[in-house]
Amino acid sequence: MSLSLPLPVRALPWRRLINHPGFLLVAPALLLAAWQTACNSGAVSPQLLVPPVQVWRTALALISSGELWQNLSASLYRLFTGFVAGTVGGLVFGALLGTKPRFVVWFGPTFNLLRQVPGIALVPALILLFGVGETFKIVVVGKAVFFSVALATGESIRAVSGRWSEVGELYRLSHWQRLRYITLPASLAPVLTGMRIGLNRAWMVLVATELIASESGLGQMMEMARQMFQMDVVMVGIVLTGVIGFALDRGLRVIQRALLRRQGANA
Amino acid sequence: MSFRHLLLTLAGALTLATSAATLADTPPPLKVVRIATITFANNGKVGHTAESAVLENDGWLQAELKKRGIALEWVPVSPAAVGPQVNEGFANGRIDFAGYGDLPSIIANASGIQTRLIVPGGPGSNTYLVVPAGSSAKSIKDLKGKRIALHRGRPWEYPFSKLLAANGLTFNDVKIINLNPQAGAAALASGSVDAFFTLDDAYLLADKGVGKIIWDSKQSAPDWKMRAELWGRKAFIDQYPEITQLIATAHIRAAHWSAQETNRKAYYQLASASGTPLSVIEREYAGDITPWKDRFSPLYDSFLQDHYRDEVAYARNAGVIHADLDYRSLFDTRFVDAALKDPALAGFWSPRRGQ
Repeated sequence: MSLSLPLPVRALPWRRLINHPGFLLVAPALLLAAWQTACNSGAVSPQLLVPPVQVWRTALALISSGELWQNLSASLYRLFTGFVAGTVGGLVFGALLGTKPRFVVWFGPTFNLLRQVPGIALVPALILLFGVGETFKIVVVGKAVFFSVALATGESIRAVSGRWSEVGELYRLSHWQRLRYITLPASLAPVLTGMRIGLNRAWMVLVATELIASESGLGQMMEMARQMFQMDVVMVGIVLTGVIGFALDRGLRVIQRALLRRQGANA
Repeated sequence: MSFRHLLLTLAGALTLATSAATLADTPPPLKVVRIATITFANNGKVGHTAESAVLENDGWLQAELKKRGIALEWVPVSPAAVGPQVNEGFANGRIDFAGYGDLPSIIANASGIQTRLIVPGGPGSNTYLVVPAGSSAKSIKDLKGKRIALHRGRPWEYPFSKLLAANGLTFNDVKIINLNPQAGAAALASGSVDAFFTLDDAYLLADKGVGKIIWDSKQSAPDWKMRAELWGRKAFIDQYPEITQLIATAHIRAAHWSAQETNRKAYYQLASASGTPLSVIEREYAGDITPWKDRFSPLYDSFLQDHYRDEVAYARNAGVIHADLDYRSLFDTRFVDAALKDPALAGFWSPRRGQ
């Protein structure tokens, strides 16, 4: 049971105004204004720094030609598949890391070592192992997600408070009951955070990988446009990469909040 | 700020504005000429292309520029993405000249970046079609419907289109995988593409035993080689024509040196400083039907003109460029014409016929 006292807030009108959610748009608007100003100043060639309106027009053209969705769907497919694979593997591995001390001794150091290697550095080796098809890109995504989730899971399981374990022992809970009623709910928040971080990293690494070695996908669309000196298409790709990364992060945050709220309500 | 400060600021701004207005008529004195050149990391040292190496060795250009108080700066460009880097450099005025390929310069001009072909020439590189070592493909016809790694927008895309056309194929008959040369080589080695179209790095794959060359452009018309020549930023050329003349003359001198049979071995040595093994360079230039001298010709003959006419048409049709371009606007013949008045150089090259 939680005690929540409604604290009286001095409802100053201007304070209410700046807390309005519409103010989220201030920073993007400022960025757009700065962008347009830089274009107007003529300091950079218009072929290199494309004005926002032109980028928008190009985006519409790409959408109507179907090219944008074609590339975006390819990227998102790889992201989704790699995310699922990486999460499942990460949860299993992390659970082992969290519950079996011998496992930590055997695999912990190697795990930590491999975790430090940036995904992009592994690209040439992965191409040799898996070729340049879908597999290696899914592996790149999976790798980023796996390490993040495994680390979060392992740490959170180990960090489950001693007092709760004692309660479990008092009630003589079985191994599975302890897992279900204590361990999993306790580690839900950190694991979800680990998934969120893993997803973001994976998205960035995926676009970077597609810049180098892909025949479809958002990164490839940007790279090809760069070769054809279509900087407007490159800007569309950049903006879209940011927007999608943001949307993925927000989406998972919403899910996280919903799950934790439900958990909080049951507590 | 105080009134005094405001007054001083206004006075300063006014001075700057008027001085800027007067200076706008005459170009500012030039301090440095920047030429982009492809650089390779080679055993901890930086290697350049043979063309820039010949110029460096000659030293004539540096001396002439120094007399005028101008420094020569070689701006390095990575071979993984030459075209985009050079085009970006031209667009924001960071480079004045570049020795690079024909297709990227067509792309630049079609996008509104004004550059001009100052000195044609350079030996042109042969192009090669490589398949995995265990493949049974004997020619491009066997690769119909298969996956071919090709870096789009690079100058050798055009010879590839000619190879397809000569065998009755189109781009729709094959699946093009757009990979840079390093990734393409890795893809070929791992067997995830059925063929790879590239320059003499094909020999490296063959030497390692992971690929075999089933076609090369040595026996084809010289038009099938990848071309690279000296391009200059139009704004710079308009502002400093005498300096442009110096650079053009220097390049023609270098071409004249390189084109002589007696210097051929030395040229190979300079080319190998870029990191390509000497054996690869020797094989690249051996057994070619195009005479050695002709490979360096700086003439704007019908061969060159037809090549650019056809390549611009190809680029437009293939959607590589999205605006029409008059190929004749790409040439600025003044500098070559002036340089070839030199009796030592005049008549050394004869015009080649177009296709």
